[in-house]
Amino acid sequence: MLEQVLAALVGIFFAASIYLILSKAIIRMLLGVTILGNGVNLLIFTLGRVSREVPPIVSNGELQPAAGFANPLPQALILTAIVIGFAMFTFLLVLGYRAYQELDADNTDTMRVAEPKDAPRPPLSY
Amino acid sequence: MATTAHTIDPGDLPRAMLDIATSLNDWVIILPIVLCLMGGAFLLLVREWRGAQLGLTLVFLAAIAALEAQLFVRVLTDGPIAMTMGNWLPPFGITFAVDVLGAGFALAATIATIVVVISYSADTMQREVRYGFYSLIMLLLAGVTGAFLTGDLFNLYVWFEVMLIASFGLMIIGGRKIQLDGAVKYGFLNFLATTFFLIGLGYLYGLIGTLNMADIARVASQTNSPAMIAVAGLFLLAFGMKAAAFPLNAWLPASYHTPDAAISALFGGLLTKVGAYALLRTMVLMMPAAREVLDPVITTIAVATLLLGPMGAMAQTNLRRAVGFIVIGGIGSVMAGIAISGLFGVAGGGLYAIHSMLTMTALYLVAGMIEQVTGTDDIRRMGGIYRASSGLSILFLVLVFASAGLPPFLGFWPKLLLLQGALLDNDGLLVAAILINSLFTSIAGARIWAHVFWRNGREGEAPNAINPDLKPVAAAVKRPTIFASAVLVALILFLGLRPNILLESAQIAAVGLVHPDRYTAAVNLEVPDK
Amino acid sequence: MASDLDLSFTLVALAPFIAALMAPYIFRFLKEYSSWALAIIPAAIFIFLLSFLPEIAEHKTVSAGFAWITALGVDLNFYLDGLSLTFGLLISGIGTFIVLYSGAYLKGHAHQGRFFAFILMFMGSMLGLVMADNLIALFTFWELTSITSFLLIGFDHSREASRRAAIQALVVTGGGGLSLLAGFALLNLITQHWNMTDMFAFAPALKQSEFYLPVLLFVLGGAFAKSAQFPLHFWLPNAMEAPTPVSAYLHSATMVKAGVYLLARMAPILGGTELWSTILPIFGGITLLWGATFALKQTDLKQMLAQTTVASLGLMVMLIGIFNEAAIIGVVLYLLAHAFYKGAMFMIAGGVDHSAGTRDITMLGGLARKMPVTFIATILAAAGMAGFPLTVAFLAKEEIYGALVETDVLTLFSQPQNLIAALVILVGNALMMAVGLAVLIKVFLGRQKPTAEHAHENSFSFWVGPAVLGILAVLAGVMTAFMGHNFVAPVASHIINQEVEAHLHLGFDIVTKPAFVLSLLTWVLGTLVFLVIDRIRVDLASLVERANISFDKIFDWLMFGLVRLSDAITRFLHHGRLEIYLTLVFLMFAAVFFGPLFLMQVDWQPLQMPQLHFYEWSTIAIAVAGLAAVLAARTRLQAIVSLGIQGFSVAILFLLYGAPDLSFTQFMVETLSVVILALVMTRLHLDQADIRGVSDRMRDGSVAFISGLGVTALMLLVLQGNLDMRLTDLFAATSVALAHGHNIVNVILVDYRGLDTLGEISVVMTAGIAILALIRIRSGGRQTGIGALKPEPRKAPK
Repeated sequence: MLEQVLAALVGIFFAASIYLILSKAIIRMLLGVTILGNGVNLLIFTLGRVSREVPPIVSNGELQPAAGFANPLPQALILTAIVIGFAMFTFLLVLGYRAYQELDADNTDTMRVAEPKDAPRPPLSY
Repeated sequence: MATTAHTIDPGDLPRAMLDIATSLNDWVIILPIVLCLMGGAFLLLVREWRGAQLGLTLVFLAAIAALEAQLFVRVLTDGPIAMTMGNWLPPFGITFAVDVLGAGFALAATIATIVVVISYSADTMQREVRYGFYSLIMLLLAGVTGAFLTGDLFNLYVWFEVMLIASFGLMIIGGRKIQLDGAVKYGFLNFLATTFFLIGLGYLYGLIGTLNMADIARVASQTNSPAMIAVAGLFLLAFGMKAAAFPLNAWLPASYHTPDAAISALFGGLLTKVGAYALLRTMVLMMPAAREVLDPVITTIAVATLLLGPMGAMAQTNLRRAVGFIVIGGIGSVMAGIAISGLFGVAGGGLYAIHSMLTMTALYLVAGMIEQVTGTDDIRRMGGIYRASSGLSILFLVLVFASAGLPPFLGFWPKLLLLQGALLDNDGLLVAAILINSLFTSIAGARIWAHVFWRNGREGEAPNAINPDLKPVAAAVKRPTIFASAVLVALILFLGLRPNILLESAQIAAVGLVHPDRYTAAVNLEVPDK
Repeated sequence: MASDLDLSFTLVALAPFIAALMAPYIFRFLKEYSSWALAIIPAAIFIFLLSFLPEIAEHKTVSAGFAWITALGVDLNFYLDGLSLTFGLLISGIGTFIVLYSGAYLKGHAHQGRFFAFILMFMGSMLGLVMADNLIALFTFWELTSITSFLLIGFDHSREASRRAAIQALVVTGGGGLSLLAGFALLNLITQHWNMTDMFAFAPALKQSEFYLPVLLFVLGGAFAKSAQFPLHFWLPNAMEAPTPVSAYLHSATMVKAGVYLLARMAPILGGTELWSTILPIFGGITLLWGATFALKQTDLKQMLAQTTVASLGLMVMLIGIFNEAAIIGVVLYLLAHAFYKGAMFMIAGGVDHSAGTRDITMLGGLARKMPVTFIATILAAAGMAGFPLTVAFLAKEEIYGALVETDVLTLFSQPQNLIAALVILVGNALMMAVGLAVLIKVFLGRQKPTAEHAHENSFSFWVGPAVLGILAVLAGVMTAFMGHNFVAPVASHIINQEVEAHLHLGFDIVTKPAFVLSLLTWVLGTLVFLVIDRIRVDLASLVERANISFDKIFDWLMFGLVRLSDAITRFLHHGRLEIYLTLVFLMFAAVFFGPLFLMQVDWQPLQMPQLHFYEWSTIAIAVAGLAAVLAARTRLQAIVSLGIQGFSVAILFLLYGAPDLSFTQFMVETLSVVILALVMTRLHLDQADIRGVSDRMRDGSVAFISGLGVTALMLLVLQGNLDMRLTDLFAATSVALAHGHNIVNVILVDYRGLDTLGEISVVMTAGIAILALIRIRSGGRQTGIGALKPEPRKAPK
């Protein structure tokens, strides 16, 4: 039943991160991105089934890990995902920083250069 | 859970490795990606040697294209081939599996990249080169190619991320305000799309415990349990977003017009098609039963995308934004192919994606030339190109009719397959949407044509007024740009007139996806005896 | 295995296209002589096709061509029978004169080379269309005629009216073409063939099948749009914005007849059913009356002719619908007659315009003496238009009336259908005759108007076409036996799929035939209408004025309505507000979970009270508290610390459940994130507090809540099953033995799944480059303010 509790925790992580990502303020959105990454990692971890305390390491002199060892594959996947997620986070952070500098706004509501609010209407002629 | 024996005689080990080493011939599968990555790293190393960057990039790209062409011909004649890294038996190691679909997409992507690199060569600014412009291009191609050639779903995710981060870099190179704004939207929305992919992967692994595509196809192709449907739904969401299908395509028109036109061309040609490719792989090859359940959803997406794409193009005054919406309309055709599935649908959808890679790249390049010649990106302030340049006029017109899917241009053939597939399915809505998409795209193209080419002056001015900003083409556009675009359009024209090889390949690819026996056989799965 | 025949046909089909490509260059060298050089192409094709006449007259057919797309079974093949030969001869023959005429008409025009290119390309497409046997090839040429027509109508591109007419034509005929494509695709699915000659055998079965109706409607949609049948007729008069040679060639003699051609060509497959004989005459009849009536309203010569063209097309569609032997013979004769006299008439109108400077019939008069040759040509053409004896149109009319009248005119009264048809045709013909007379008499006879003062006879190229066509209009009416044997019988036989004996002759017994009464009535009515044509014109014009509605207006309304609708939808969907885009994304995300879980039958297993240790509960509680603190943070420091708390809790969870590697990495990454965030946050003087209003928070909170709930729900469902541990078991068994690593996670990363790690490194490297570029490349004043258009040239957008 361990996994079910973690599943609930993952849901909370997701809810919190989504609430932050929707917050219009880039810096809060970035907090959301970090939390979302954690949530996803926990999700993969939990879905790979969880056991207590036995790391997937073969002791010296043994050929196989001790019984009840944790599933190593999700761990490997998560390690990859953590690093990638961190790279993404850093880029988005710097992007947000530069956007704040150039566009003078932290509010996505007012960042409307690419799609201006008063974009001209299409010409009604041939 | 795991086996409990503490000591095992190596002779009792389960079969884990291939008995024979991967033949040299099969290493060619991974070589394009390795070359891309090596190229990217190498170009970064010699980034101060600016004069050589372009030449080196082209050498790498040419080698990659040659390898992929050879690969394409080989899978076309011999069927799919696969190799697994480290000689581990699939599904234990990461398999690279190439069929006609993957090889064809990879080749088309490389061709589009070469065209873009050549056409941009004269305009690239020095500092952009110094900050790794060509490296980013190679890394983007690495991500794209990796996605097309891999046979492992998690590995596909990794290549998606390589592609995504490289596209971030290319999106903001230049550093204009509009680019940063576009990149913020592009960045967050695409980050979410790949995250959804990762979430889907997590669930899928939790459900069936494997990541190898052929293995997933073996285990899950007949499953349509609620959980599997939800996983398929996550993939549809993630890849649909990457492919810019309705309703989650806002990132494309928000960002594609912001970087330089050559970058737009590269993105328009490559990125959305990776999403389309992943949809074909997952929905048709791996989870056909789940796709069947999701069919109404996919059909709705396809119809909406088919109609709203060209309608968006009609509503734009920014030329490249309009082109962006035409790209979206094309994605509707690919979605229609997935909705139809079956041999007609898959062949049509796949071929349309190939057509779209070439045509949309060219369309963005031509749009970029128009912007250079007219000095604006506003359709209403353009005008007079028809008088000024027959060449540009021909290029644009061919591309418009190609994207509308009128014969004898390239876009027609996949449209024909899709139409027949939809008719066979008795899906009147889809038939209508496919046809109306062609009509609307023609209207959108003809409107742009009338305003930008036929009209002499600007919008609202007297008929005889001449556009004062119009520069001579030869002065405004660099020669490599004209040359590369013209060659690409000539290729599109040629393939439209002689589509046999493409159609045959598409049919073979479709058979390979709908009946994946040869694909799974090539992967050489180690199947547990039950 | 290309035989000589295949080769020569292919060459003939390609020749106009090659000539079109070369036309601009030829024009550059030969200038005003280029029309003479280029006219050789259609003339040569005409002669080539003429050489098949004896063979075709014997009811033989010629097939040639080669495989085009084997993957789809599509051939580029040509099929010559009476129908295609007749059309081919018209296209190449009239084309020769049109090319000559264009040279004179557009003398001095800068883009004459372009014009020749388009018109030759059109000619090639049209020839291909009528000779193609394969439906895909036919459709390809069909769309090419639409495209070339688009370019030709918009040739005078600086005027908005031309652009509008061009787009209108493209939309209507292109849209019709798509309907046609659907019909063709369906036919292929039913018969498994693309060649029409292979489809004939399926005709009886097809007419019985449920697919007959959709196929027929799709094909009619295409044919009606192309041949300007009501209510899709309006584009044709507008197409007169094109230079006159185009009007004469495309929009009268050839392209608009493609629809008629297609109906005739497909008649053996689709024709003769009750549906066919109902739809075609009704639409054709309405079109005939509509066009003929509106022709009276016009003052512009070209408009008058265009409206009568609409009427004539209606008549031809009607006749094909009636589908008896006489009607088909009538349609063949009428087709020829119309091509002759209407082609001539258009070229005459252009000549008059060129000479007198106007095409307005109220401003013209008394040109006969100034333009004697044109006048004579006009007499011949008008005689054809009126259907006077000795012209081929007369023969046509006799056949047409004969098709409706069996023994006696009085029998009509017992057949209401035929009576209505006869009346419609009679009125239509009479009105067209009035228009023909008006062109002849108002323009050339009577008092000289001021416009005639400077008028003069045009050059040879201007009048040779009308003269020859005018003579042909009469000659064909006299050489009845030749026409009957070589054209009428072969064409008609094909259309109704039975041997037809052409019984044309020039005896005076025609007069004694019952149908002759109807001809007489036509002439009487036509003359009467002509006498009051000026009044009718004024009355009609004011009527239309008062109605204040026209198909043109409806088209504009639809077109701009579509643009406005697109604008509204696009603004609604692509508003530029990231937070709304994101909300939609997460709504879809939630739907992905709730769709399957709610709509499908799910077996939920009951949850048990979890047995967790205290420290596990604490870690989880701390993580949740950390999350809550991030959400509630009001200061920079609070937010950062809270972020750290949830991150480290996750790391501890990893540690607790056997993932030390993950735990360490998580610690490091989390620390780095916090540090970088702190750095950035201190440089940006930002407020961490939530800037959203209450309603926004409610909305976002609900989206977040249902998404989280969905994620958890699906996890619980997935966790109910057993995980297949094949991969893990093998990794455990072989990690030490084969891969020589004790830490299985590491072995996976570097060995089993080493490629992932390669990709991961690439991501990090790429991120580095991207971030460097982001920081180092600054725009140096290349951009403008938020939301502004870019008036100043920006850095050359590549």
